[in-house]
Amino acid sequence: MKIIPENNPNYALQLATERKKNFTSWLLTAPALLWLIFFFLIPYLIVIIYSFLTADIYDVKFEFTLEAYRQCLTPAYLHTLFLSFRLALLTTLLCLLLGFPVAYYIARAKDKVKNTLLIFIIIPFWTNLIIRIFSWRIFLAYNGVLNNILLNLGLISQPLEIMRTDIAVILVMVYVYLPYMILPLYSVLEKLDWTLLNAAMDLGANEIISFFKITLPLARGGIFAGGLLVFIPALGSYLIPQLVGNQKSLYLGQVITYKVKNIPRNWPMASALSLILLLIVALFLIMFYVLYSHSKSRRRV
Amino acid sequence: MKRFSLTKLFKGLNLTSFTLVMVFLYIPILILIIFSFNDAKIITGWKGFTLKYYAQLLKNETIQIAFRNTMLIACLSTLISTILGVLTALGLENKKFSGSKFVSILIYIPLVIPDILMGVSLALLFNFTKVNTGMLTVLIAHITFCISYTIIVIRSRLDDFDYSLVEAAMDLGAKPSTIFWKIKIPLILPGIIAAALLAFTLSIDDFIITFFTSGRGFDTLPIYVEGAIRRGTITTINSLSTIMIGLTLLLVVTTKRIRKIVISSL
Repeated sequence: MKIIPENNPNYALQLATERKKNFTSWLLTAPALLWLIFFFLIPYLIVIIYSFLTADIYDVKFEFTLEAYRQCLTPAYLHTLFLSFRLALLTTLLCLLLGFPVAYYIARAKDKVKNTLLIFIIIPFWTNLIIRIFSWRIFLAYNGVLNNILLNLGLISQPLEIMRTDIAVILVMVYVYLPYMILPLYSVLEKLDWTLLNAAMDLGANEIISFFKITLPLARGGIFAGGLLVFIPALGSYLIPQLVGNQKSLYLGQVITYKVKNIPRNWPMASALSLILLLIVALFLIMFYVLYSHSKSRRRV
Repeated sequence: MKRFSLTKLFKGLNLTSFTLVMVFLYIPILILIIFSFNDAKIITGWKGFTLKYYAQLLKNETIQIAFRNTMLIACLSTLISTILGVLTALGLENKKFSGSKFVSILIYIPLVIPDILMGVSLALLFNFTKVNTGMLTVLIAHITFCISYTIIVIRSRLDDFDYSLVEAAMDLGAKPSTIFWKIKIPLILPGIIAAALLAFTLSIDDFIITFFTSGRGFDTLPIYVEGAIRRGTITTINSLSTIMIGLTLLLVVTTKRIRKIVISSL
């Protein structure tokens, strides 16, 4: 659009059209905006209110208390927080370690094969989550397929007890979240200027040096995006620890769900724990953002 | 000579890890599919080929109701969240829109917050407002988590929109409504379809938010499967899962182009 000077008679007309356009934009965005205010923002206000109320077996009593927060800071719940944090961190690191070579391999494959390889990554990604978890239960069970194979090969004399351990939880977490790491890594590596690598190698750097000096720094955006896509959902995951983990080490998602669904209910505690999780996620987002923009600006200098 | 071998080693390492990850990703699914044809009650070993669990599936009324519920919720939430997505994306197209920043932030926040928090907050909302949980509450929840995705996918398609086409049509005397229906909508249609497909998949896949908002008596397939695993009645789950994997495969293969748009816009 042309910029019209203020003294031009058309200026008022343009202002009016812009105002009209602005109003149309408000009208068009209003349904989604109102929907998100009613069903996304207001529910969080209720969570905040409930976290200060008194717990009841089935419901809440409208009496102000800080009891929920006091309980969240007891060793048992701090331990839950620690476990969830450790799980999310380990999952993210393992996904990065496994996912990077895969993304690299696909990005450097011939154009014709690329799409087929990508489909192979996407199929599990679009397969129902609960089915993928269930398939691991069959695979890892005490009398399951893995133990049968290992017994028949004579590698073990007794079935391994992997199901219902923390190892099973980590394994399935990595399995489920791996595509979330591979896809953003791939989209960054795919756009990478490989001539830089060739130049480095012509100047005498080997693949390993040029990987650490060129590829890795340039793939930073993908690493950050993938890291967030894995770490944040992993922090609050419920289904995986519930179906393949044990009841001795409970994770945050499980504790929150129990407090909401199981009787005796404790909605104030579920609310307080949810808000703590929200706070951790917010802190991480800010930290990632600062780290990312810092590392970006340092490169330019 | 040394450089040559290092390069080879590096490539070999990538190929090896790719193969290992493929095995890791597919072994459990393959075993699940194979065992859905296994004539044994428990999973100890191969007892012969059978289709009886697929036959049981057809007789199981609970599964059929859960399937119908899943499809109903997925279709309705896809329809509504896609319409809201188109409207919002068109509204955000105006670069001078005064609410642009606020709306954008509100759209992106649900994407970076763990699902479980949306589940808890909606469960408490329905408790606070004394709304009975059931189909309606599940539908509301599904629309809520789908909108952000549909808006973002359609919006990124609009960003690539070639306005010279609109200008050409205007020069040739086309009416605004003609321009909208004959030029704009057809050009962003792939984005709309991609958004709808994404919303549909998200809705079918969701467990945790449905778990918090469904209450008793309204089961979707993931809720049914979780309950069946907990109760230990798992014989039909293998066959049910195999059918669902088959449907996913069909979807992935038939929608190659649409998938590209989803990937490039996220």
